[in-house]
Amino acid sequence: MNTNNNLYTVIYTTLIVVVVAAVLAFVSQSLKGRQEANEKADTISQMMTAAQFGTKADFQKMGNAAVLEKYAAEIAEAYTVNAEGERVADLPLDKVCSPKELKRQNYNIKGGQNATGAAELPVFVFKDGTTVVPVYGAGLWGPVWGYIAFEKDSNVIKGAYFDHESETAGLGARIKDDPAFQAEFQGERAAFGESPVFAIVKGGSPKNADGTEVVDNRIDAITGATMTSQGLEQAINTWFSAYARFFQGAAPAEACCENACCDSTCVKAPCDSTCAKALCDSACAKPACDSTCAPRCGGKPCGHPCNPQIAAEE
Amino acid sequence: MNAKLKETLLNPIFKGNPITVLVLGICSSLAVTVTLKGALVMALSVIVVCGISSLILSLLRNTIPGRVRIIVQLVVVAMMVILVDQILKSFEATYAIDKQLSVYIGLIITNCIVMGRIEAFALGNKPWPSFLDGIANGAGYGLILLIVAFFRELLGSGTLFGVDILNWMGYVPNNLVILPPFALILLGCIVWVQRSIQKDLQE
Repeated sequence: MNTNNNLYTVIYTTLIVVVVAAVLAFVSQSLKGRQEANEKADTISQMMTAAQFGTKADFQKMGNAAVLEKYAAEIAEAYTVNAEGERVADLPLDKVCSPKELKRQNYNIKGGQNATGAAELPVFVFKDGTTVVPVYGAGLWGPVWGYIAFEKDSNVIKGAYFDHESETAGLGARIKDDPAFQAEFQGERAAFGESPVFAIVKGGSPKNADGTEVVDNRIDAITGATMTSQGLEQAINTWFSAYARFFQGAAPAEACCENACCDSTCVKAPCDSTCAKALCDSACAKPACDSTCAPRCGGKPCGHPCNPQIAAEE
Repeated sequence: MNAKLKETLLNPIFKGNPITVLVLGICSSLAVTVTLKGALVMALSVIVVCGISSLILSLLRNTIPGRVRIIVQLVVVAMMVILVDQILKSFEATYAIDKQLSVYIGLIITNCIVMGRIEAFALGNKPWPSFLDGIANGAGYGLILLIVAFFRELLGSGTLFGVDILNWMGYVPNNLVILPPFALILLGCIVWVQRSIQKDLQE
């Protein structure tokens, strides 16, 4: 048979590709469940490592079933919050966020054309009060993400665990492989509401004469992995800024100004005439007005009452 | 087993080793030899990919149109690589190691050993010898991988297969060994040893 015939060549290659595609599709479909179970157990062990229930190596030895069991025994609640710090929805306790889901929320935080809606940020609370939140961003070669655990009701970091897709082994990959780097986060405080919330810089925080750190939201970057360190820092700051209102509590840190537009948290808070004008303006700029208020807000000076009651009296 | 098959099976292990004599597959042997476990999984994956792709393409060898044979080889090898990757991801025991090897499992397709043996051997020989040739070349590659990984894990982490060997006596792991250049130095030493034993390789 003449195998160099054009028609034969076209039919042959088509056939091969179709057969190979069918085999791969079949295998991919039949193994999907197992792969997802592995990924879920991996994510859970990352969260529990961040929350200091053990080391990643411990969880790897335990096996998937034992990891899921331990997680079920320790987790208290899981829910999502929006950028205003309000609780949006409860998550089922056996659900975790895949890196894919984190990527989607990362777009939502940043806005822009890839956003699919308002950010709904997951929060995982363990029975001892440890609160774990994810971070996600771009490293040097691919995405980096991780979980950071906070002590109960505070901004003190209890632990952290990071993962990556393709950072350089021995350099950028140390965010995942080097427990010493992850341990640096322990005891640091995230400065919610400030800028930057957290920093990963050369040398970490400057030291006082007695060896204590001058600021406690800075850690030492990884030598030889500047881009990965910067990417991780940006990921942490982007996500922590989005979580800031949640961690600061519903009310802003400072007393709210009188009639501070239609920000619902402001209306409830005790009003203080000495409140900074800047805070007032930022509250106005935010589209926090509920729909009945929004038209009244637009174009009016900042102090304009938007409280529904006052609006009704008008 | 006749002498010729034996030669097919044993030649790539030492005398015609794909890494030290043919100098193929250097890139991945620098990347995946930090730990013995990683090297072992990589070696087994290459053996499977190399053996089965050789077998499939040898079965098809008389039907493949000459002008598109490289494309056909590529499609078959790519399928095998994806299958191996998917299977490694599906088992608890290998999930973590697959994650550690990350892109390098996928990059088996770019390993010149696989395509090289198919082009040089499988397309001109019967299925059974081709299969053995694929397996043997994978094994020759794997052997070097394991030798390099043995030294790199022992000196770079003080462990073997994750078991503490040197650290308990106060050994300080050498970070240079972890970095890829050291694998190249080791490979050079292995080539040196082999060439001093096998005089006919000397130029």
